[in-house]
Amino acid sequence: MSSLLEARSLRRQLPGDPPIQLVRDINLTIERGSFTTIVGPSGCGKSSLLYLLSLLDRPTSGELLFEGREVSNLSGDERAQLRLARFGFVFQFHFLLPEFSALENVMLPMRRLARLNYDASRERAMHLLATMGLAGKENKTPDRLSGGERQRVAIARALANDPVLILGDEPTGNLDSHNSANVVETLRALAHEENRAVACVTHDLEIAELSDVRIEMLDGRVERIVDQRKKSKA
Amino acid sequence: MIGRTGFLLGIALRHLSRRQRQTIVAVSGVAVGVGFFLAVSALMVGSQNDFIRQLIDAAPHVIISDELRSPSPQPGQREFGDGAVELHGYKVRTEVRGIKDWQAIMTAANEMPGAIASPSLTGGVTLRLGGHEEPLAIVGVEPEIEAKISTIDEKLRAGHLRDLETVQGGIIIGEELAQRLSVNMGDIVAATSSTAGTRSMRIVGLAKRGQAQISSSSGYVLLREAQSMLGRPFIINRIGIRLDDPYAAEEVAARLEKRFGYKAESWQERSAEFLSLLVTRNVIMYSVVSAILLVASFGIYTVVSNSVADKRRDIAILRSIGFSEGDLQFIFVMEGIILALIGVLFGWMLGYGLMEILGSLDFSIGGETEHIPLDRTPRQYAIAAVASLIAGSIAAWLPARKASRVDPVDILRGAI
Ligand SMILES: Nc1ncnc2c1ncn2[C@@H]1O[C@H](COP(=O)(O)OP(=O)(O)O)[C@@H](O)[C@H]1O
Ligand SMILES: [Mg+2]
Repeated sequence: MSSLLEARSLRRQLPGDPPIQLVRDINLTIERGSFTTIVGPSGCGKSSLLYLLSLLDRPTSGELLFEGREVSNLSGDERAQLRLARFGFVFQFHFLLPEFSALENVMLPMRRLARLNYDASRERAMHLLATMGLAGKENKTPDRLSGGERQRVAIARALANDPVLILGDEPTGNLDSHNSANVVETLRALAHEENRAVACVTHDLEIAELSDVRIEMLDGRVERIVDQRKKSKA
Repeated sequence: MIGRTGFLLGIALRHLSRRQRQTIVAVSGVAVGVGFFLAVSALMVGSQNDFIRQLIDAAPHVIISDELRSPSPQPGQREFGDGAVELHGYKVRTEVRGIKDWQAIMTAANEMPGAIASPSLTGGVTLRLGGHEEPLAIVGVEPEIEAKISTIDEKLRAGHLRDLETVQGGIIIGEELAQRLSVNMGDIVAATSSTAGTRSMRIVGLAKRGQAQISSSSGYVLLREAQSMLGRPFIINRIGIRLDDPYAAEEVAARLEKRFGYKAESWQERSAEFLSLLVTRNVIMYSVVSAILLVASFGIYTVVSNSVADKRRDIAILRSIGFSEGDLQFIFVMEGIILALIGVLFGWMLGYGLMEILGSLDFSIGGETEHIPLDRTPRQYAIAAVASLIAGSIAAWLPARKASRVDPVDILRGAI
């Protein structure tokens, strides 16, 4: 399996006296075709790590390689372009734009990237929403969708530009068990079937059990990395 | 590129559509600013153009007089310059007043494209009727030529300039003077000059009150008549020149003065003080207008600034999706520009309406019904639009810059 994203001695601290250590000594690899979960107690730095991996935040020190290329020193615009074209991000709380319909929210990344024209973008957005079980709700604005529906719109939006890396911060955190299982199955299928990678922060130990690789964090560090594929083969 | 611009514009429009009340307030601010700018500037520029037209028409565009800017040197000085010489029986030479070789100047002036020159002689006489005496500056002209270079005919209440040619001893005087002498059209008055005695003149024209061209103490006669009355046959002391392009007057005057030595005064030089007053007026007007637009742009600043504050979460979402800082700045600057644009459109309508009202008002000045002179050229509309758009962009750019600098991670950390 080839490495898609690799962190080497990644550290992030906030200025202060003394500086606040968010994460440190992070060494990990996210491989293509894998479903990775990041687990750990609240406040241990999972979200902070995810912001670094998704190029939203810059590390204080260390290296971050995306497809073998050092990306932590890229300019803001270059990082934005990478996020747009190659990354998909799902937050714990549905983060939809309130003025835009479900369809328009899903179309946003496609319209910005402009790889597809309007009609093709629209068609793909309809298809993604249907895949998420939202057929017929395309024109509703977020305030007229349920929590689970909004979360699925957010996932559809994360998939809009066909990203190679999908990152989630507790994407099932406020879904009921039925919806949660659906979302996890979708993410797992994406990770395996389309040769990309999915990495999610989660509290849910069942989800962690289902993942290929489980990264356990404690106090800003990676405690343990468990490759569960070997375990299940054995 | 156009697609992306339109797409970002769509986001800006969507934001504005959700804050209608503030949008209406901001748009009204711009509209009122633009509307009143148009009305005020139409008045100011209109009256200014009217003043200038009157200045231009008040007298020939260039006047060559028999004065010299610097007196020509005396023969003795010409001969010996600064040298120390002693001369006996030296007489200071008195130059005869009047323009010498005026025909040559006339020819030179008439040869210039779009220029017509008219000679005249001015001098003082006394008008007498019964026991009443009035000093009068008479202007002797060739009516046919003078009519081409001046607007006198329009200023006459009765008679025509050409009547001077047909009536022996004809004279045109102002209404006020006629009233003081209790004379009317066709009446005879006696004119006395120091050199040629007294002769009878018949009134063939009366000029309206309040004209710059014929004041209450001047009158028009035939050039020949003036020359004989003043005892100066074949002499003239003034050449008036009318130009198709009045704004070439300064250059024409300078050329003629350089060539012939006589003082040639353009209308601009004549009214330099007044023109500089207009500059001050314009400075005041544009300061007031800038202030109006500045206030109008406060509204835009408020809307965009609130929009940025309310949309911090949306900004973080868009940034995390992969929108660049430039995209965000563009979206919020566009919000300001959209507000300014809508404001300008309504402002144009308001301004147009105000001008219609101003233009329909009648004023009675000196018995004449007049309309307020208004400048209604598209130029003012363009100035108002450009100024509002610039003010609006700057007002929006300040908060937009803040939007582009929002760190999405800060928002996400706070929200999760
Ligand atoms: N802006 C901040 N200022 C101070 N401490 C912060 C800030 N952001 C996060 N932290 C702290 O950093 C640690 C890691 O936070 P986070 O990455 O959100 O943890 P997790 O997602 O695992 O719950 C927490 O202890 C949190 O309190
Ligand atoms: Mg977290």
